[in-house]
Amino acid sequence: MSLSKPTWNHFPHQPFPEKQNPFGFYRDTFSSSFFTPVALSLSAAFCHPISHSANMNALSADEMERFQKLSNNYQPEVQGPLVSVKQSSHSIALDYSNADPTLATKTNALAITHPECRIMKGDGNCGWRAVAFGYFETLFALRDPLRIETEIQRMKSLTSLLDRVGLSDSIYEIFVDATEEVLNRTHAAIQNGAQDESFLVEAFNEGYSSDAIITHFRILTSAWMKLNAHRYQAFLPMPLDQYCSSRIDPVKTEIDEVGLQALIDGVIEGSGFGVEILYLDRSEGEVVTPHLLSSNRPVGATIRLLYRPGHYDLLYPVETTLAMAPIVNLQYGMTSDYTPWDQAALGFDVNSSLMAIPNLMQDTSFGMGAPMSPMPSVSPTPASPFRMSPQQEMYQSPMPTHAPIPPIPVSPPPQIAPPSAAPPPMTSLPSRTSDGPQIRLNPLVMKPNLSRSLPVTTPFKNSPYNQAHFQNSDFEPIHWEPHERR
Amino acid sequence: MGSIKRISKELTELTQSPPEGITVELVDESNVYEWRVIMDGPEGSPFHDGKFLVKLSLPTEYPFKPPTVSFATKIYHPNVTNDDKGSMCLGMLRADEWKPSSKIAAVLQFARQLLAEPMPDDAVEGRIAEQYKNDRMRYEEIAREWTRKHAC
Repeated sequence: MSLSKPTWNHFPHQPFPEKQNPFGFYRDTFSSSFFTPVALSLSAAFCHPISHSANMNALSADEMERFQKLSNNYQPEVQGPLVSVKQSSHSIALDYSNADPTLATKTNALAITHPECRIMKGDGNCGWRAVAFGYFETLFALRDPLRIETEIQRMKSLTSLLDRVGLSDSIYEIFVDATEEVLNRTHAAIQNGAQDESFLVEAFNEGYSSDAIITHFRILTSAWMKLNAHRYQAFLPMPLDQYCSSRIDPVKTEIDEVGLQALIDGVIEGSGFGVEILYLDRSEGEVVTPHLLSSNRPVGATIRLLYRPGHYDLLYPVETTLAMAPIVNLQYGMTSDYTPWDQAALGFDVNSSLMAIPNLMQDTSFGMGAPMSPMPSVSPTPASPFRMSPQQEMYQSPMPTHAPIPPIPVSPPPQIAPPSAAPPPMTSLPSRTSDGPQIRLNPLVMKPNLSRSLPVTTPFKNSPYNQAHFQNSDFEPIHWEPHERR
Repeated sequence: MGSIKRISKELTELTQSPPEGITVELVDESNVYEWRVIMDGPEGSPFHDGKFLVKLSLPTEYPFKPPTVSFATKIYHPNVTNDDKGSMCLGMLRADEWKPSSKIAAVLQFARQLLAEPMPDDAVEGRIAEQYKNDRMRYEEIAREWTRKHAC
């Protein structure tokens, strides 16, 4: 393909005719290879400032030849950085606001379940770049230097795949070096306590380092496919070797479903990260269609891709589950604890208003008195915040949340205090780990206009904080006004 | 910079064990991006016994962009422009078909193979391609003559 694709942002109103095939893959029938180049070539020719350009017959052979050359060399302007900073998913919803109602509904819902996104430049590498960037970003978000060292070793050991398909060390070493270099930078960033992933955005916007990492992932995918041909050949329209040399290896060839699956299987799977893809298309339903590409369950570290026909971006879900989980755990522990327990033995006042404070129980120095100790939910083991504690596994969220544990660093709980120790003062309450909204929304009941009605700020009618409640100190009964609705 | 590292390795490999009929050197020792290549006309082709000077230039983005190959020696061939540039651009040398894992050695072998087996359907010189397809005798005659005149 001599032309790279324009980003889909620029064509939000195009219909996306497509079907789901029995393997759960989507086939992109709106292939730019037979549409875009023609349209753009023509526009390139017609836009050229020649007075009689309307009449093609009047052009001399020389001019025609020149136009042909212009058209052949025409590269559409693709705007934006290779990898953007995180931005609000509302921009995607805005792009589709006048488009097909299905797309408008889905993008509105998406902006609520996945409030942030990162746009990849549509230069033919977007799918590769999205996965590669997501890999590094997820690794960084875990803030675990040991894990990065493991990944550096794993990436090095993957070169054996390259050797086995006959690539020589002198050819691939600069690609492997580039990946290793950025892994080392990630390691250093964690050690230096870098605030955010801006160093990764920078690295991926450097042409050389970006190209080299993508090439590294391409050649690994290609080698993996050749060594596991039986897994992929049936899904390919051509012999696997030909597929690799025409669809995987060349620079700037867009990744397709089979290639993406092979990239996940061969390169990403070993990291333990989940990869989920959310299809934005005109299929039935009010939300984007999620599909899990990895056999790793999407708990904890997951790379989420937004797929629009011909283009991939990254998505970030609402980060609230972690802040909500401890309360839920406590309640679970309480209801399953059938032995009558003595309230006085607890290190703190168990009253309903105190219990309503989120995260109170996250500090394990609270309530470690003997009657509480059989409760497994307050185990003092400072486990990795990204491993599911047994309670979290047992507890089934009543909401089909799309937001599993977010990769937010949380310091491990402090060591258990002696049971006799006085509870720390209230001021030492652990702060919330997320500044985001603390409301979890059920995507099934979500309506596009919900985004406008949030957040709910007025107190409930039967709450004493409501002025209309008889217990309120400034009690004032509601007067019905005829001009008011309701 | 990674590209210089890789180019130097490829250059070393090519000078130590050159492929058949191909010798390479740098135009200027201080610049690894410009190569001078002497290509022997392949046996069995009308270019046999000719020595063709080929310029290979590597972009600074190598290996993410392909090298460019041009014939400094005039050559009668459907895939080489019959002008002062003598450029050749097809197959693996095209920007959209280029693979960063391809070697310069493979590029040069591809170019030499093209002398033996032109690709008239991808021609840049339509007239020579026509002649190659329809009047092979005459094509070979002229090609041999040009080889004698310019490449010996």
